[in-house]
Order: sequence, then C-alpha cells, then structure tokens
Amino acid sequence: MSLPENFHELELRFVYGHVLNELISRNKNVYCLEADLSKASGTNPLVLQEHPANFINAGVAEANMLGLAAGLAVEGKIPFCATFCSFASRRIYDQITISVAYADTNVKIVGTGPGITQGPNGGTHMCFQDLAIMRAMPNIRIFSPCDAFELRAVLHFMAAHYGGMYLQLLRMKHPAVFDADYVFEEGKAKRLAEGNAVTLITTGYTTHLARPAVLSLQKDGIAADWLHCPCIKPFPVEDVVASAKKTGTVVTVENQNIIGGLGGAVCETLAEHYPVYLKRLGVPDKFGEIASEEYLLNKHGFNTEHIISACKESVQNKGKSK
Amino acid sequence: MSSSSSTLPDTSLDALAAELRYVITDMICRSGSGHLGGALSLVEILITLYWRAMSIDPKNPHWEDRDRLVLSKGHAAPVLYVVLAYKNFFPKQELGTLNADGTNLPSHADARTVPGIDMTTGSLGQGLSAASGMALAAKRDGKKHHIFCIIGDGESNEGQNWEAALFAPHHKLDNLIAITDYNKLQIDGFTADVLDLEPLGEKWKTFGWNVFDVHGHHWDELEKTLSLAKALDNGKPTMIIAHTIKAKDCPLIENQPGSHNIKIPDRETHHQYLASLTGGAFPLPY
Repeated sequence: MSLPENFHELELRFVYGHVLNELISRNKNVYCLEADLSKASGTNPLVLQEHPANFINAGVAEANMLGLAAGLAVEGKIPFCATFCSFASRRIYDQITISVAYADTNVKIVGTGPGITQGPNGGTHMCFQDLAIMRAMPNIRIFSPCDAFELRAVLHFMAAHYGGMYLQLLRMKHPAVFDADYVFEEGKAKRLAEGNAVTLITTGYTTHLARPAVLSLQKDGIAADWLHCPCIKPFPVEDVVASAKKTGTVVTVENQNIIGGLGGAVCETLAEHYPVYLKRLGVPDKFGEIASEEYLLNKHGFNTEHIISACKESVQNKGKSK
Repeated sequence: MSSSSSTLPDTSLDALAAELRYVITDMICRSGSGHLGGALSLVEILITLYWRAMSIDPKNPHWEDRDRLVLSKGHAAPVLYVVLAYKNFFPKQELGTLNADGTNLPSHADARTVPGIDMTTGSLGQGLSAASGMALAAKRDGKKHHIFCIIGDGESNEGQNWEAALFAPHHKLDNLIAITDYNKLQIDGFTADVLDLEPLGEKWKTFGWNVFDVHGHHWDELEKTLSLAKALDNGKPTMIIAHTIKAKDCPLIENQPGSHNIKIPDRETHHQYLASLTGGAFPLPY
C-alpha cells in the first residue's frame, strides 16, 4: 500500500504510520518498535497489519525497547522507537546516552505528544524538557517538524542517514505549512515570512501558533522575519545569526520549558555571535497540568496574542538591553 | 575461521587461564586502578567461550554468521580485551595501554575502538536488552548464530534485565544464551546482604528461560553446558548461572568485598598483586 494521496490531511500519527510503511516497503531493515502505545503512535494497525515482521511491541518497557533497538541496529536494522516524549527522553535518558549516542548505534527515537499536547494525560505526562535534555547529549540529532510534508521528509532523512536521532512527533491533525515540493535540509531553518522588523523563531507545534500572529503583525505594518526550525540539532546557527543581524531583535516560541530548548539554543547562538534584544516565549519553568491547550497557552503566555505582543515589544525595545 | 574446534587440553587451558590472570592483573595495576575482581571471575568462562564454544573469525570481526558476545557487565572489559588479543583480534602489545590517555582500550567494553567487541557497554543493565535485539534480528533474518550475554550478579539488581527477561521468551529467542557471573559480591558487599537475588535460578525459570547451574571455573562443566545450550531449540532463551569466585586466584582480595575496584598507589602494591597470583608469573606481551 502506498502513501494515501491526501496524507497531508491526516492526523500526523497516521502520517508516521504510513511513512514507516513506505520506508519498510523500500527497505526491509526498517523496523517499528513500540512500548504498548502503538495506537497512540499511529502504527497500529497501520504498520502492524502491513508489515507484521517489522513490528515489535516491547510492552510497557521503554528501557528494554531502546536496548532492543540498539541490538537490532548493531545487526544492520534501522529501528524507529516510539512512545510519549516523557518516556522517549527523560525516562530512558541513560539508555539513549550509552546504548545509542555513546555506542553510536543507528537508532531513531520518536517522542510523541510533545509539551502541552498531552493535555488529557495531565502534568505527569507533559514533557517540557525533551529538546533541552536531548540537545545536551552528544551524537544525537533532533528534529521537530510541523506538518505532514515535513514529517515525511524528516522520516526519510532519518532512515537514510546513519546515527542516533530524536524526533518530536505531533500526534494530531495540523494544517499543511508546506507542500509536496518540500525539501528537508539538515541544520537549516525554513523562512516562512520575510521581514526586517523582528525575527520570530518557532519549531514544531508553535509554528502553527505563529502564522496568525505574523499575519496580524503584517496588518499593523510590522514585517516579521519568521524562521521555522525543524532541525534543533544541528542548530541553524547561520540562519539565526543572519536574521538577527537583519532585524536586530528576536522572539522565540516553543512548546517547551524556556530553559534549554529552542529559546536556549537561540540565546546560546546569539550571545556568542550577535547579541540582540530577545524574548523567549514558552513554559516559564513550570510543570504541566491537566487542561486544554488553549488554557495552557494562555496561562503560560505563548498563544497567538502573546506572540503578537512580544513581537511589538521587541520592535520597541530594539537596541536596548533589559 | 577459528571456533570450537580448538583442541587445547585442559592442562593447557589451566596454563592459559593463569597467564591471562597475570596479564589482566598487570594491566589494571599499571593503570593505577580497575575492576580486577569481576574480570578474574570470568577467565574460565571467556576462555571456554572463545576457545571452545563460539564460532568466530579474528580476521573478520564483523563476519555475518559469527556468534556474538555482549559483555553487559562492561567493567570486566580487561578480561575480554585480553581474550580478544590472545585470539589475535588485535596485537597483544596494545594491552599495555589499558585506561591510558588516548587508549583504544577503556575501562568499559567499547565496540567503537576494539575489534571483536560486539556491543558497547558500561552502564549496567543494558546489555541483555541489546543482546535480545541482536537475537531477534538473527531470528528475523533466518540466521543460525548465537548471541551470548554475560551479566553480573550485582548488575542483576537493575530492572531493565527483567524487562529483557520477559521479552526474550515471549519472542522465543532460543538463540540467546545469557550467563550470570554469580561471584556473590557487588561493590558494597555480598549480594546476599546488599540485595539478595535468591532463588536466582527459580526466578529465571519462572520467567520462561532454560536454566543451568554450573561451576564457573570448571572447564568440562562450562564446555558441556555451553554446548548443550547451543543445541537447545525449544523456543526458550537460556540462562547459565555460573557460580564463580570474585578475584579468583588473587589471594590478596579473592572473595572479598573490596575486590571490585582496586587502587594501586605505587609499584610495591603492583608487585604485591602480581606476586600473590597463585598461577605464577608470565612474560608480559607489551
């Protein structure tokens, strides 16, 4: 079965399942590993039915799933291991560190339901630090795609290139940002709007929050230079620095704790290369709680209105230090 | 290809074991510190594996149909390095660089730098999962080779082992042969006092494994049990509980809680360790 023509209209977890089928059809060494969340990841029944020999359910045992993946990878397989972000990063951080990153095995880790999108599962399941902790690990590449076209391209990249990689997978339906011509470039940002007033940097989920903000700012005569970063590591240093030089002020928005993730990466980059007035939006060092996305965005201050305000404030404060 | 066809008589194996113990002890002592106890408890097991049980080809460490070994208790790497060097996977001269700045032979088993090592290990509890993945890959590919995995008794405290213990029988990985180096000691003391594993064999049986208890320093028992385990195809993985003696044949620390990681402050202590070995002295290969 090939990829459905309307795949970009599906929930992204089903895009994940379909693309894994596509990859397995082309390369029998691609494996789908799950830890009893295969329906949540979108691989059951999609992959389970189409490629049962390449589907392995480790049960509720994420550490073992990761170790199995390392063993499979040593034998030339390309395992994709999916579970919620909280388990895919912080629960098995040492296993990833030693059996994947340090051992240099070809394991792909897929964290599903990033940040506040774990709403119904509440604070215990919300992971606001996976980008930060994965960034701090050598020999791991990190991706956070925003739509079906980009997700497909990133998954193809992951299967085609050797090495440990971590993907943040949005599970639900999100409108297309790109189209069928999308090309993924490792270590590069995607410029979604051109402007000189303020640099707006988003990734994954927050790219969808930024679109109406950018349009609203345009109506007010503020042209944002909007960079979407599907690649958190290697970080698009050159793109970020070039934009900061052009606009002189930066706003970052992430579905994460503002410590160490996208905002952290931008701060490290600009502090070293080109310091400018900068504002980080995201979760201000708090745990999650059971609530709707709308409630949490409002509470933590990174909904579309907050993005508009932060951009306007940044334009006014250009050239100032806080 | 070198394999189980080796014809060394037991007396030669005794001499080889004594020589390897001498070299391991010297390597660790000259580096100033190291995990001597858990390396010395594995000497007979690793010799039996590499000279009698495993199909390997030192000239082609990545030979597809070879048997694999995952040393999950990665801190025992010195004994594996010595065995691999004596099997000519790499020059014995390199053994003298254990733990030295810039070495290819770090304290914990490293597949990135050492020919013949099949999996990098060091953080306890992860090797049996990797070995299960390797066994599963072999099954899916219709391969006939075996995956051996050595875990420590202290290491058996780690919960991840028991996740793998559930997984391997469920997937009928009878090509997986695990060995517990049951020397009854871990860093903080006797396993019976720190976190008792007993009844250990019963636990593995209940998880669905074939279980054998063996004397871990007895050539004939080891060889027969490994041979039997390789022949088993009953859909169950095998656990060989090898009763061993930590720091065997090094009376200074043999079967003592302090034997896990020794410190060698000076040349005198180094010589004391070498002189104490019951198997005698041997020329060093470096």
